[in-house]
Amino acid sequence: MSESSVQQDVDAEDGVESEGESFVGSGLERVEDRRILTGEAEYVHDISPENCAHMALVRSLHPHAEVTNVDTSDAEDHPDCLLVLTGEDLTEQYNPMPCGLNAFEEWSLVTDKARYVGEPIAAVVATDRYAAEDVVDEIDVDYEKLDPVVDAMEARKDETVIHEDVGTNIPDSETLDFGDVEDAFENADNVLEREYSWGRISGVPLETAGVVAEYDTDRDSFDIDCNIQLHTLVDDTVYETLGYPPEKVNLNVPADVGGSFGTKIAIHRYCALAAMASQQLDGRPVKFVEDRVENLQGGDMHSSEREYRVRLAYDDDGTIHGLDTWFVDDFGAFPRYPVNQALKPLSVVSNAYDIPAVRYDYELAMTNKTSQTAYRGFGVPSHIYALEMAVDEMARELGTEKFEIRRRNLIEEDQMPYRLPSHNVYDSGDFPAALDRIRELVEEEEVRDGGLLDPGVVEEKREEGKHRGVSYTVHIEPGVSGSDWTDRQRTDDDTLESREREDVAELPEHFRIELAEDGTVNAYLATDTSGQGHQTLVTQLLADNLGVLPSDIEVGYLGSVEAPTEYGTAASRMAVMLSGATEGASEALRENCRQLAAEEAFGCDVEDVVYRDGGVERVGGARANGVGVSDDEPADGRERLSLADLAALDTDRDDALTSVSYDYDHPTTELPEFDEALTKKYPVYPTAAFAANAPIVEVDEKTGEVEILKFYSLRDCGTRLNPTIVDGQAHGGLAQGVGAALMEEFSYDDEGQPEAITLFDYLLPSTKNMPPVELEHSETPSPFTATGAKGTGEGGMIDGPAAIASSINAALEGEEFVADQIPMTPHRVRERLREDGE
Amino acid sequence: MSSESSTQSLDRPTEEITVSVNGEAVSTSVEPRLKLSDFLRQECGLRGVRVGCEHGVCGACTVLVDGKSTKSCLTYAVQVDGSEVTTVEGLSTDGDLHPIQEAFHQEHALQCGFCTSGFVMATKELLDRNPDPDEEAIEEGLADNICRCTGYQNIYSAVDRAAEELMDAPSDDLEDRTDSAGDA
Repeated sequence: MSESSVQQDVDAEDGVESEGESFVGSGLERVEDRRILTGEAEYVHDISPENCAHMALVRSLHPHAEVTNVDTSDAEDHPDCLLVLTGEDLTEQYNPMPCGLNAFEEWSLVTDKARYVGEPIAAVVATDRYAAEDVVDEIDVDYEKLDPVVDAMEARKDETVIHEDVGTNIPDSETLDFGDVEDAFENADNVLEREYSWGRISGVPLETAGVVAEYDTDRDSFDIDCNIQLHTLVDDTVYETLGYPPEKVNLNVPADVGGSFGTKIAIHRYCALAAMASQQLDGRPVKFVEDRVENLQGGDMHSSEREYRVRLAYDDDGTIHGLDTWFVDDFGAFPRYPVNQALKPLSVVSNAYDIPAVRYDYELAMTNKTSQTAYRGFGVPSHIYALEMAVDEMARELGTEKFEIRRRNLIEEDQMPYRLPSHNVYDSGDFPAALDRIRELVEEEEVRDGGLLDPGVVEEKREEGKHRGVSYTVHIEPGVSGSDWTDRQRTDDDTLESREREDVAELPEHFRIELAEDGTVNAYLATDTSGQGHQTLVTQLLADNLGVLPSDIEVGYLGSVEAPTEYGTAASRMAVMLSGATEGASEALRENCRQLAAEEAFGCDVEDVVYRDGGVERVGGARANGVGVSDDEPADGRERLSLADLAALDTDRDDALTSVSYDYDHPTTELPEFDEALTKKYPVYPTAAFAANAPIVEVDEKTGEVEILKFYSLRDCGTRLNPTIVDGQAHGGLAQGVGAALMEEFSYDDEGQPEAITLFDYLLPSTKNMPPVELEHSETPSPFTATGAKGTGEGGMIDGPAAIASSINAALEGEEFVADQIPMTPHRVRERLREDGE
Repeated sequence: MSSESSTQSLDRPTEEITVSVNGEAVSTSVEPRLKLSDFLRQECGLRGVRVGCEHGVCGACTVLVDGKSTKSCLTYAVQVDGSEVTTVEGLSTDGDLHPIQEAFHQEHALQCGFCTSGFVMATKELLDRNPDPDEEAIEEGLADNICRCTGYQNIYSAVDRAAEELMDAPSDDLEDRTDSAGDA
């Protein structure tokens, strides 16, 4: 699809006309860049109000221990100490933090026993961070050590229970059948059953969590600058903890956040503690910046850690009839606020395959590890990985090429929109074409003389013990999360059964525009951002829709009190929701400008006013008089008003017309296709962005090292509103996918001590690890969204690990090798190869 | 100077240092344990210096000390007494972006931007040393910096573009830039 197809329509009705090139669809340079490149950006780490004090935390040394005494006397005697808070102090005045499951109670500081290494036990405040860490050293904690439960499979036995009041380490589990699963498995020619592991990884943004909280003694309220993600949605985790109503606790997220990838959704503990400290210090601002060791060890930011058992029911001709996945997810010490990464895979349960019968069976396990939060893909990457490994093994069992097996089972274009057994609907896409194209691309470029997969070279390398290979796969990136399903695990079965469609409430995206006196367009986002370029996206849409230059537009942000409760930035939502909201708000503003001009300046009918090129013009009157002025002719200066003129006209009106707000409804709200999913609280993701991948890998059998020589990826996220940003998201997502597949892991020893608490242990990809990426795009606009965009924020991380693992399998085909554990570290590859050789 | 620097208790030891920061002489007393990164951020108000890991892996805090790229989180302020320090704020002149900064912008070599100052400074050192680096030299030159958003490909392109720009630039311009970036 060409870029011209995404230009804004010229809407004859309200007279919008675009001169020259559209900003939408072009790779408009980011408006965020300049301030970042010159050091002028203001991240939360940079905020230091006058008289700001600094907080540091005492953290548990043990994974499971009664905290019998916290001696704060020496700390309080320290000359730089301003405040010490313990769990006991909190229980007197504040509330526990909301948990992801109803039965749990978690306090911001330990009140009874520590449940993971790094769990905060006390908070101290001093004049600066150096002094605060001195004070931390003065606090003595007495522990009575308990046996830890470190392994999720072991935890299932409930021999040691981490939360005695809950009574089990498996507080939530569910078995969901869609279609006739029994029949599929009984009647298929073959059944395959395998196990796969997905290690504990996460986003590890370069900027750690940070907060500056200030309590206002006069208003008895809080202002909290922080880099929390979804600040208008998860603000309840802060205000409920403080015991205040939402309007008393304003969370502000700066325009610049140094990455989140989902992980900062759960940093409310820090926000609440800093706010409590400021309140205890009569309003003195208190700052907390998590250091990297804190972040990796106990920053509440690890993500999914799963043990899978996958079954496939398939016929001899390679047709898959049934899929049965069971997994245990090690949630760590507490079910953190977003527990639904366990359920989100239901939205893509069969990936790009047409599989009619599906069983989905999960258990959430509590262990003595850091709690989980969200991470790019929100539980989907591991599901896609486990499914693709099983498909690889099935192809091997049948002795059929993996490509052919995949091709046979892919959903066809004429099945779109495609309803999954688990009730979500894929909007559009041609998956077989994508699979064919990625293979064609690699065969043309690489399976030839001088290519990376030149058969002669592959053979030569193999003789040296280096195995090259590639696998072709297609993966769905579900986009635009709905929200009404996300409390499924806190809703009882009867309520689920009796829900009606009318009970479903989806959250729209909120957006505001105001014209300033000088004609500048001021826009306000109700969401937060962390590098995705939302300001640029909104700027280019507004520039097109209002006929102004990007330099005439300023985009700001609303705090949690000013903005309505929104879902915000998560789950590949913003390209769709923000663009829809911007379209709607622009149209409303254009209409209002015409009305304003008609009523206050021209004294004519609204129909006689057109909006054109950043202003309004009167045309109808002239035409009515038979003068024959056409819409295309330049208007007389007296009959044209600029945006500045309009703002001036609006000054004294009671009902301001140059200030509009707009809520863009979630796309599923009006689509009956989603009724069943919405009513039953199954995950709803109305857009199916997708990728066909072909990473070319080389595995060194001596070292076990996997090198990705080149990564071919064909991606389709519907309409590309800003191709530069789309590419950036793809590159970044794939880099995280590479790290996840081969390097990153929060491992623990048998005693529950975390083994990856520095970046020497938790390995992130550097220039040494990233291959060249060859991107190709197709554009299948979504029929469900305002702009045709599908969202692309999680791609690469969702599909990269599965694609890489499948290519490793291909490279080691003759070795009967299966990449059955993520990350596939050199150690694990060597181990598997040696096992195979024995 | 921010409020953070004035709150130290009187009984903590200090040492006098004089450092040239982006061409401006700074004389002050600091705690011997004060990291250079904190000195630059808090005492000098240079927030372009980012602190990502404080153990020398991520490279977000990279600055030039006497022209050599240095992780300011692993360096104490007292160690740079008498040195010339250049941060990202010292690159742009008169409101114009330095060709390296411009190249990062043009090639979309940043997203969240938290690592960007460090990458820009590492690139500065790389190109000062090797004005026409090949892919391997770029890989080596930037291997001490981690970016979590971009996947590096655009960063390579930015380094290439900056190298071309700087090589094409009239030598007078180059002199000016070098002077303004590193002069005391």
